[in-house]
Amino acid sequence: MGFLLSCLLRLVLWGLLTAETSAINLLIGLALAVLLPHARGPRQPLAPLLRALWGALVAIPVSYGEALSLIRGGGDEERWLEQPASAPSQRLVIFLEVLAITLTPFTLVLGLSRVEGRPIYRIHQLRPRPSTPNPADTRRIEP
Amino acid sequence: MTTILKALEPFADPVSLLLLGAGLLLWFWGTWPLLEAGSYLSKLHKLSVSDTLGSTLMLLGLLVRIPGQWPLLCLALLGLLVWNTIFGYVLARCSLPPQQSEPAAAARLASPTLRP
Amino acid sequence: MNVLIWGMLLALLIPIAVVCRPCSVWDRMAAFSSIASKVALMMMVVGVMRNDWMLGLVGAISLSAGNSGMLLLANVLREVER
Repeated sequence: MGFLLSCLLRLVLWGLLTAETSAINLLIGLALAVLLPHARGPRQPLAPLLRALWGALVAIPVSYGEALSLIRGGGDEERWLEQPASAPSQRLVIFLEVLAITLTPFTLVLGLSRVEGRPIYRIHQLRPRPSTPNPADTRRIEP
Repeated sequence: MTTILKALEPFADPVSLLLLGAGLLLWFWGTWPLLEAGSYLSKLHKLSVSDTLGSTLMLLGLLVRIPGQWPLLCLALLGLLVWNTIFGYVLARCSLPPQQSEPAAAARLASPTLRP
Repeated sequence: MNVLIWGMLLALLIPIAVVCRPCSVWDRMAAFSSIASKVALMMMVVGVMRNDWMLGLVGAISLSAGNSGMLLLANVLREVER
């Protein structure tokens, strides 16, 4: 499955790069996609991969909203957060999750670590200071 | 499809100028903090606004202006989003002193989750 | 369109000014990455303005290839600092 997906991705990239749909060009692209070395490793299940892909796509419009609220907001506040992550063996899912979290301007992934066996992301958050103090502020963490 | 494109043609120019101008505004807003004295990570947050999101808006503006070149523009869009985002992650991760990326330091933090 | 190019040039001057000042190496890396993507985008806009897509092609390819050298450099610097 992973083999098929990576071949498809390479073929799409080749098609976009050459912008030509003649049979011979597609054949060259297909040959390149199959012949270039593939990553080896544990099997990547499809369902979480699609969910992560959807999450990364949704993150694009969300990030514009967050950028607008950063521009409008006066002072900023910085926090350190943690968020549960997927199993590190699913490398593609991890990649897409890191992409989605880092793409949004409020949050930036600083690393993947383990706490009590569970994988977590360490996240740095920057957001406009809320006008009214909310209970979450009492739990603020300093690095 | 082509008739729809033909009908939308008079709007292409102003819309593309609007997108390009919005991208330029994001560029200025996000790059200016580099000159100020702020924390490095907050600079990176704002740089991601300008370089990734602002440049994406500009590429969309170009796409509206020259729809005939959509394959390369889409490739550039994809490359820009992925490369700039991952580069921001790598810069943030590598700039931290190494003891902070050890699990022991992370274990000391409590864990308020962002999205449960 | 001309105003746009001038505006982009001004925005490009900001990270260049940052690089010229004495500052930490990580600030420098961030400024250089900013310069790289801004220049590539400027190439595409200039190419469209002059109706010469060859210029835009160079910009598009350099955007999609990314600055992987800088990525490697960041990792090397981190190893050196350790």
